[in-house]
Amino acid sequence: MPELDELEARLARLEPADFERGLAVFRGKLRGAEASYLETCVRCGLCADSCHYFRADHELKSIPAYKLSQVASVFKRHCTVEGRLASALLGAKSFDRAMARTWVEAIFGRCSLCGRCSLNCTTGIHIATVLRAARSALAEMGLVPSDLQSVVTQSLESGNNMGITKQDWIETVEWLEEELQTAVGDPGARIPVDKEGARVLFTVNPREPKFFPLSLQASATVFHAAKEDWTVASEGWDLTNYGLFTGDSVQAGAIADNLLRSMQRLGCRVLIIGECGHGYAAARWEAPEWLGREHGFEVRSFLELMEDYFREGRLKVDPDRHQDPVTLHDPCNLVRHGGVCEPQRTILRRTVRRFVEMIPNRAENFCCGGGGGQLAMARFQAKRVQAGGVKAEQIRRSGAKTVVAPCHNCIDQLMELNREYRLGVSIKTVAEIVADALVFDQPVGR
Amino acid sequence: MISGLQIGVLASGVWALGLLGALHRRAQGYGRRELFARAAGDPRKGVAYAFGKGMSPAAKESAREHLPTWFAGVGYHLGILAGLGYVALLLVGIELDGMLRLGFQAPLLAGALCGTGLLVKRAFTPRLRALSCPDDFLSNLLATAFVALAFARTISARLDAAFLAETMLLLLWVPVGKIRHCLFFFTTRYHMATHFGRRGTFPPASFPPRA
Repeated sequence: MPELDELEARLARLEPADFERGLAVFRGKLRGAEASYLETCVRCGLCADSCHYFRADHELKSIPAYKLSQVASVFKRHCTVEGRLASALLGAKSFDRAMARTWVEAIFGRCSLCGRCSLNCTTGIHIATVLRAARSALAEMGLVPSDLQSVVTQSLESGNNMGITKQDWIETVEWLEEELQTAVGDPGARIPVDKEGARVLFTVNPREPKFFPLSLQASATVFHAAKEDWTVASEGWDLTNYGLFTGDSVQAGAIADNLLRSMQRLGCRVLIIGECGHGYAAARWEAPEWLGREHGFEVRSFLELMEDYFREGRLKVDPDRHQDPVTLHDPCNLVRHGGVCEPQRTILRRTVRRFVEMIPNRAENFCCGGGGGQLAMARFQAKRVQAGGVKAEQIRRSGAKTVVAPCHNCIDQLMELNREYRLGVSIKTVAEIVADALVFDQPVGR
Repeated sequence: MISGLQIGVLASGVWALGLLGALHRRAQGYGRRELFARAAGDPRKGVAYAFGKGMSPAAKESAREHLPTWFAGVGYHLGILAGLGYVALLLVGIELDGMLRLGFQAPLLAGALCGTGLLVKRAFTPRLRALSCPDDFLSNLLATAFVALAFARTISARLDAAFLAETMLLLLWVPVGKIRHCLFFFTTRYHMATHFGRRGTFPPASFPPRA
């Protein structure tokens, strides 16, 4: 349990000044909306079943209102007069070592920031936003679990979260380009690197070149079939941003800036975020806020782009190649937080013979359990897999043989759930499903 | 002639409204987040959805799966609204009779029963009790007593003093405890709705959204 000991050691070292700094950062993260959220909870408890953690363990500590109350109690005690004067009556509590430990356990250990509770809150509290502000405070105090923080540090130091060197990246792309040419039977097929002035800059989750190269090849096949003017970047190609999970906006902004600099360097017009939920939310919605400026270009999900291709008749597919029932997982950051809900459905309805929805789905879908940085935090692994049981049951009830997940973090978690809960399904990205169904009339790109 | 208790109720009302206004200013004093990301949806449509269909059991799993509690909550709040309307009428010297009185008695009785039910649920459900702080019980008790006494007052004018005194206590507590959600419910839901509306999550493409 080295991580556990390390965290306890860090907690033990905290000085009063650390708590003051944490509180200052927390206050600084609040705006009128969050201050309002912190005043509103009536602790009705109706949010409980909306949380996959609670559904899995039925523990008080997993109820969203409990997690929120730990933060709200500190807010009351340190930011309100009435909380200072009548703390016992109003449930106001000091931000001390015990509370910091509670925050870490509740906010990092039992929450994937999926936001499902926000939609189900009786009063409408956007709980994930408040808990992210609390994560920021913990980040300021050095209490982010070290393995999660190391992913952010890796991104800052090497430009991608897996430390893939530029040479390895380029060689992987070149190898995949050869594979693409063989697969589509067209020696003119390309995966352009650093093509200046290309319309589309395509960004990638480092898990693709590292562990799932066929996923990247599938995306390239779709671009090739659609005759897109596209490129990948030799540097600044990683779409992930774990700063979204640690709550450190400065680091998150620096990571996001990698993509923006690639766009500027190559002069592309549209930044396409590959299939990654948090990557999309970070680049599309959060990066402008972290950096304090509007993007001077369009940021879109690869799903939206593929939907365009279908609408414009640029892709021909044979749905008979996917005869088994296929279901769709809705990544929280892409769908609930990102608003990209229908393109993936439009695509799958055209690409597979039997598309079945999970129940519930879309913005009401359950988190797979891998979000919020959970996959990177070893100390909470058992809880993560247990909470993922809700998703496993959804998949089982769908009767599908294939689960499509437009998010590589979700795919990692779903693969673990597949093993743990013996689901016996295959798990693919949307691009993989489309690429497998593509029909080429004749070689293109010559 | 206005009695001392009536003046007390009016003063408590001023206290409640004044402090709620101060609380609102305090919350908004944290500032407004400047947003740079281009909107994908219409925040106004998000607000319309969140304050309309989005509150219905068809849209909310938490309501759908806990219908008795959800209906109790609705009944409770309708009772409180009826009680506030009733006390306002009493303050201007209007006594209800006939069908109008029945029209108030029904929601008041329902509200009192629902409030009692929710209080009992909070007290005897271990998980809910553990989630609660003393304010949860006090607020629930004050509001339930208010509705119950309002109902009783419609039957007997002799309870006038007790009802007005209870109204004073309730109004004094409104901005101090969690009953402040009578204000923050609206601001919170507005903020949440504009957030999800802007991102295109609200309103959902189909309704009910799970279909």
